[in-house]
Amino acid sequence: MTLHRGRGMSTIEYPTGMNQNGDPSQAWIKVKPDGRVDVFSGTADIGNGSKTIQSQIVAETIGVPYDWVTFDNSNTDSSPLCTGTFASRATFVAGNAVLKAAREVRGRILEIAGREMEIDPGDLELEDGSVSVVGTPARSMGVDEVAGAATFVHGELLTGDGAHLNPAAEIIDPETGEVDKPPHAAISYAACVAEVEVDDETGVVRVVKLTQAYDIGRAMNPTLLEGQIDGGAVMGLGFGLLEDSYPYYPANEHRGESMNTYHVPGMEGLPAVENVLIENPSTGGPYGAKGIGEMANNAQPAAIAIAIHDAVGVWVTEFPITPERLLAALDREAAGEDQPRREGKRVIYDEHLSVNTVATAKSWRP
Amino acid sequence: MDLVVNAVSHEVDSAPLTSLLEVLREELDITGPKAGCETGGCGACTVLIDGEPRRSCLTALCMAEGREVTTVEGLGTPEALSAVQQAFIHHYAAQCGFCTSGMIVASSAYVDRGGSPDTGAIQEALGGHYCRCTGYVKILDAVAAVARGDDADTMSTAASPTSSYVSIGGTGNGGGGAA
Amino acid sequence: MKVVGARLPRYDGVGHVTGRTTYVDDVRLPGMLHAAALRSPHHNARIIDVDTGPAEAMAGVRAVITHADVPTLVYGHLSGAGIDGDEPLLAKDFVRYKGQPIALVAADSVQIARAACDAIVVDYEELPTLLDVRLAFEDGAPVVNDRFGNWYKEFEGGLEARQIRKGDIDRAFDDADLIVEGVYRTQAVEQAPLETQVCVAVPEPDGRLTIHTCTQALYFSLGVVCAHLELPMSKVKMVGGTVGGGFGGKVDTASDTLAALAARKSGLPVKWRWTREEEMLASSTRGPWHMEIIDAVTSDGWILGRKMLTLHDAGAYGRFSVYGLTKHSFHHTGAYTIPNLHFDGYVVFTNRIPTSAMRGYGVTGLSTAIEVHTERVANELGMDPYEFRLKNANRVNDTSPNRIAYEDPSTVEVLQSIAAATGTELDGSLRAMTRGERTDDLLPDHLVGQIAQGGHG
Repeated sequence: MTLHRGRGMSTIEYPTGMNQNGDPSQAWIKVKPDGRVDVFSGTADIGNGSKTIQSQIVAETIGVPYDWVTFDNSNTDSSPLCTGTFASRATFVAGNAVLKAAREVRGRILEIAGREMEIDPGDLELEDGSVSVVGTPARSMGVDEVAGAATFVHGELLTGDGAHLNPAAEIIDPETGEVDKPPHAAISYAACVAEVEVDDETGVVRVVKLTQAYDIGRAMNPTLLEGQIDGGAVMGLGFGLLEDSYPYYPANEHRGESMNTYHVPGMEGLPAVENVLIENPSTGGPYGAKGIGEMANNAQPAAIAIAIHDAVGVWVTEFPITPERLLAALDREAAGEDQPRREGKRVIYDEHLSVNTVATAKSWRP
Repeated sequence: MDLVVNAVSHEVDSAPLTSLLEVLREELDITGPKAGCETGGCGACTVLIDGEPRRSCLTALCMAEGREVTTVEGLGTPEALSAVQQAFIHHYAAQCGFCTSGMIVASSAYVDRGGSPDTGAIQEALGGHYCRCTGYVKILDAVAAVARGDDADTMSTAASPTSSYVSIGGTGNGGGGAA
Repeated sequence: MKVVGARLPRYDGVGHVTGRTTYVDDVRLPGMLHAAALRSPHHNARIIDVDTGPAEAMAGVRAVITHADVPTLVYGHLSGAGIDGDEPLLAKDFVRYKGQPIALVAADSVQIARAACDAIVVDYEELPTLLDVRLAFEDGAPVVNDRFGNWYKEFEGGLEARQIRKGDIDRAFDDADLIVEGVYRTQAVEQAPLETQVCVAVPEPDGRLTIHTCTQALYFSLGVVCAHLELPMSKVKMVGGTVGGGFGGKVDTASDTLAALAARKSGLPVKWRWTREEEMLASSTRGPWHMEIIDAVTSDGWILGRKMLTLHDAGAYGRFSVYGLTKHSFHHTGAYTIPNLHFDGYVVFTNRIPTSAMRGYGVTGLSTAIEVHTERVANELGMDPYEFRLKNANRVNDTSPNRIAYEDPSTVEVLQSIAAATGTELDGSLRAMTRGERTDDLLPDHLVGQIAQGGHG
């Protein structure tokens, strides 16, 4: 038995928002008589942190402390439409909806404060829950007082609504796939280096370390961002090495029916994970945000496969790279059957997997 | 049958071989322990029985009779969080939160018995607990911090020891532009 | 700025760590029934007869739902995008995958509901199965999908494949010094959230329905429920927003509509929580992808052209697969600029669980294939993989497969960062590269044309 070390790198890109856009999100906000802010948004929090991020955007945009904000995404009667928490769209698209609603609320607060202070709202600033005169910070009024005055003196409700929709990109030529406008809200980029240790007797691969670089647009909350990226790294490791609903695909049999028999990555034997997070604010995203939740599990599988090749010299291109598949590849290599077919300037790998080899009808022969 | 949960004694009607998880959730409405798999494979239902972490889905009610059952609700309250609960907030060890009850119960047992901050030891202690969100990185940080006796501020979260930030400009315009 | 960018704790963190967050399974209501589903034991079969009588006669059974109870039986997940539905909410004439629901029983306890499912008598005629996407096009292949056949044939313009065509692919292959072919197959994956699919449907006295749901998309699910039940959106209130993990597997929550039907029929709240076994064996997975890539490259390391065939194993029904494949096609050059393209992608149906979204939908397997292939090409050229990637990495105003100018691609900087972070010393010329527009050595003749093909941006 020999342990072989290897290293592999991959680089990827991934869109923010639904492909072809056309996915609206809406939000509305009201202010209580003591200045506390209630946000109504239809964005589910699936663990990704929508409640936190959208509350941060609202607090920042209005200019009130984070703990003044309540967030309600609990039902479709009180919250307006959000297309949903998927396609890495929640921070960018739904975040823009609450951002716009919050800007409107900020404007309303300044308007009422202007009336109360008998000054043009344009000469006021709002920060930390306090409205003050630009250049004369001593002349100020709390947002709680402004909200009280709006309610009890002016008979008005401080509210705001917002909606965001990146217009749908249409395929204008189905033959070529040409579209008429950008089909994404933003694009993000990432790279991953995997360091592995391969046991050539058992075929077991241990990922020792994953180093990752992500263009994250803007870190709205660095901790939540890291949580997405760390979690994605381990999910990507599962994709690369462990997880398969159909272990004998394409056969339907021998599926794992429980957490004991389907190989979700567990806590033991985890690699070290290190991240370089690159701030590159997007056009149009709230405070420059991009959506990075989904892409977070895309770069690791290839990096691991390439690291395995670096370690033991074989390519496994059916995923996941199980010990069984890796040992079979090592056996083929030992038998001299691992080499691609070379024909003039063509190098043909994996011919045994190709439609052209497996099927007889409608084969693909470009 | 009498069942003591979180230091409160309950008279329960469930049959003796009913799973403790079902008794807690369905008869007593103690919903902290989660039914993630009901076959002992995920850890989300973990409770303490006389201080030892046990899968409540695999524990028959009669096995818990006369013993102290502690669920996540018994470890701390929103007004008085335990050290482990504080650390899970400070280190962002909970994302969707569904595995969290079991993680916190098992982590509490680990630190209560003087577990070390060593990553490998924590991984071994929490080995059968699955989390699909975090990649475990920040869970390990949280448990190690408690094992070290670190304070945890629940109004902020910890900087990551393994993440660094750089800036390369960008085209950002603040967002919220005209749709 | 102080709040955005701050390391604030989770909004709902205290609830999570104290076990006080209310998830759907924590909802309990007076008189609440529990549901269980009867599912197909066969991968492909004709349903000759279903007799629910024995289940209905059982004590404690309050409602049995079959296809006949569903006002609109077939509603497509992409109906809003003009793509026909193909999947009955409950099987009617055929079951096309093992685990397909045929009936739902609501009863006083989940044990009674499960026993009642076992009591339903179904007479099946088993049919041959199609499982290998590569064999879907063969003459005489078993037919999987009653609406579309074995592959989706209704892309815009009446095309049977999602196509990308760009530049002059034949010339690229003629001009190439090296052509590298590879086949990549990525697998089905369980989303495997810790919380299984669960809902509680409640008939309200005013005739409305309240549905406690674990959906990732409250309004999408609202639309689906209302479409099947033929109700205006005012008649249904979706309650949720707090989900115990999704990863794409809870966008299409079929449980909501079925539980709602049982609640209406019984007049009582109905909870339906899937077992872990159901979650693993009957809920949608990430789909398998079969990808063949052929790259035409020059000896000095330019990718001139790419031909690609993708067969997406959608499972038995379409769900979001057309969307996923289209997204896949838009990204099939990865982080690189390839001026000449010929892509054909098919949504292929097989007798397995319909696949659906999962984190990185349409692209996770694609990124895997592209990057392994890229490394192979670099190896064949004897070229440093960083140099090969950096040279071909997309730049500002390069154009995407569908002719969109990249506004701010950071592949170059990302690669430089990962090299620095892992102690890889890049040559000075590689360190000096930026994402800025191509000029000089980085703008050879064959790339001038691809920029001219852009314009939408």
